[in-house]
Amino acid sequence: MAVTAEDLSPTIALDGGRKIRGNLTQARIRWMVLALVLGFGAVGGRLVQLGMVVPDSTIEGQARDVITATRPPILDRNGLEMAVDIRVPSLYAEPRRIIDVEEAVTKIRSVLPNLNEAWLRNRLTGDKGFVWVQRELSPAIQERIMRLGIPGVEFLTESKRFYPGMTEASHILGSTNIDNQGISGIEKHMDDENVALLQELGLARGNALAPVELSVDMRVQHVMHEQLVDAMSRYQAIAAAGVMVDIHTGEIIALASLPDFNPNDPKTALVKDTFNRITSGIFEPGSIFKTVTMAGALDSGAVKMTDQFDARFGVRFGRFTIDDFHGKHRILALPEVYKFSSNIGTIRVMQAMGKENFRAFLSRMGFDQRVSFELPEMRLPSVPKDFSEVGAATASFGHGLSVSPLHMVTAYSAFVNGGNYIAPTLYKRSEAEAELLYRRVIQPETSANIRALMRLNAIGQGGSGSQMNKAALGYRVGGKTGTAEKVVDGRYSSSKVTNFFASAFPLDNPQYAMVIMVDEPKAENPQSGTTAGWNAGTVTGRIVQRVAPMLGIAPDFSPIIDDFVPTAYR
Amino acid sequence: MIRNLNIILIFTSVIMLAGVYTLKFSIEHTASERTALAAQIESQEGDLSLLKADWAVLNQPGHIDPIVKRHQVALAIGPVQQKQFGAFQDIPMRPVKPNNAEMDALFQSLEAGIDPIDAILELEGIE
Repeated sequence: MAVTAEDLSPTIALDGGRKIRGNLTQARIRWMVLALVLGFGAVGGRLVQLGMVVPDSTIEGQARDVITATRPPILDRNGLEMAVDIRVPSLYAEPRRIIDVEEAVTKIRSVLPNLNEAWLRNRLTGDKGFVWVQRELSPAIQERIMRLGIPGVEFLTESKRFYPGMTEASHILGSTNIDNQGISGIEKHMDDENVALLQELGLARGNALAPVELSVDMRVQHVMHEQLVDAMSRYQAIAAAGVMVDIHTGEIIALASLPDFNPNDPKTALVKDTFNRITSGIFEPGSIFKTVTMAGALDSGAVKMTDQFDARFGVRFGRFTIDDFHGKHRILALPEVYKFSSNIGTIRVMQAMGKENFRAFLSRMGFDQRVSFELPEMRLPSVPKDFSEVGAATASFGHGLSVSPLHMVTAYSAFVNGGNYIAPTLYKRSEAEAELLYRRVIQPETSANIRALMRLNAIGQGGSGSQMNKAALGYRVGGKTGTAEKVVDGRYSSSKVTNFFASAFPLDNPQYAMVIMVDEPKAENPQSGTTAGWNAGTVTGRIVQRVAPMLGIAPDFSPIIDDFVPTAYR
Repeated sequence: MIRNLNIILIFTSVIMLAGVYTLKFSIEHTASERTALAAQIESQEGDLSLLKADWAVLNQPGHIDPIVKRHQVALAIGPVQQKQFGAFQDIPMRPVKPNNAEMDALFQSLEAGIDPIDAILELEGIE
């Protein structure tokens, strides 16, 4: 029997011990390598993952950037701060880290007793990572809460807007909300312009921003505010407002409206009647509108300074007769029409010009649109598109149309600065910059005539501005009174009036125009009256007396200065 | 040979380890110092912002005016009145400058023994 390999079971080859150990070691090394690779891979992967994570900077829907965002300080024209940022602590809690809610509630309420207990308990319960408890606290309260040592309750420094002038320039500045965004006034305008963008980009955070310089002079603003407060109590008026502009540049020097609010406490702005009467209030301007009629008529060449107008009888329109308040009932020269504020005379002046021309002149003076201005609180004036005969007649002396005091002060600036319309601004503007924006509305000669009329009204016998001139003697103020009767139950009431005084000074070389409004004044004493000369006029006089030295205007009593006023009508 | 190398390596790694740990702790220390400084700067900036706000309040005309009014009587002050303004024409003319040369000449003649008064007295006939 042949021995073949086939029958044999496969050869048994026994590996040596060395080889077995070698294989085993190799396998172990492989496993080791795999484990290490996996281990390092896991570590590396985690590192990459950590590197990819974008830190979540949002706090309950609000970006942290926004709450600590700074705003540029606001300065007045002399560099005095009108608005600054201060850092204040705000209390927040992390409910998921609070161990004993009841204890935390009791402790927090021991320092902040005005917090509602149920609200606070509800706020601190749950698994949330961040909740505000109370924002914008004082450092003293922060210290006291820190001492309580409640876990999960902490502070964050926020930036808060502070207005050192308190209520004085409230309508100019407006206010910001708790997240430091402007909600009214120039603050809102700044946001709309560029600050919001800066904050969005994160550039505004913690960085000192270049201050914003306004055209306002806080000294003048203070005097105007103080005098308006005084007028409110002196004449028991429901409201008072005033605005002063530099007639050459259109810069607002002062703007105040009472009742006002405290921008440090923005919710006071929600109180009724605190709206800005200068920009967002529209009123029947009354007789101060006669200056507009005079300027239009003189500029059209239809009337001359020497013309005479028959004011013996009232003007009849069907059933209506329009008569004068202090009727002279004689033939009046043009300066006398202005000085005695004759309605009849003014209607005749307007009729000489023609009502179509008169309406066109109102458009030229910008009376049928908003004044271009920075404050967002603006209202459209209401001026009829077309005038009827009687509509044009009443409009000529300021009834039947409503414009804002800002419209009036802008118009007066143009009338006295040589005839150039310049939109008002709250930012600094040089005369050269302003000249590029000038729009000619009347001729320089007309402007000179209007100046003479305004001055005549202050120095002339029986002029309606003579009360005003008593206080401001020497500062060459001139202006026009306006007493507009209010519509009560559908008819004009003689007891409820809105009084205006529109003025400019010093009239030999005008610099500033001003409109003062006193709403529903009562007579100061039995000898005085309720017409504008008695209240808005005297307020103007007192303001000019105080501010003229600040603005570098020296009094001058030399009679030559008033030579430009026609002597015949003084 | 290898044994020595191993010993050297072990020592080196121990030293390196110690070094790394020291570095780590010193960096942590520096970082905490930095954090403390940043916190201090921030709190000081906060204080500064409050001081600046205080300063702005104290400078406001609306803050100064009531103080002025309170002390108006004691200090005898008040808003400037028109009559307080003057003009250049109201300033009196400057007094004539003294003639120094003449004075010097007089003193010199006195020192020289010539008294102009004597001459006048002689002329008047008074001794």
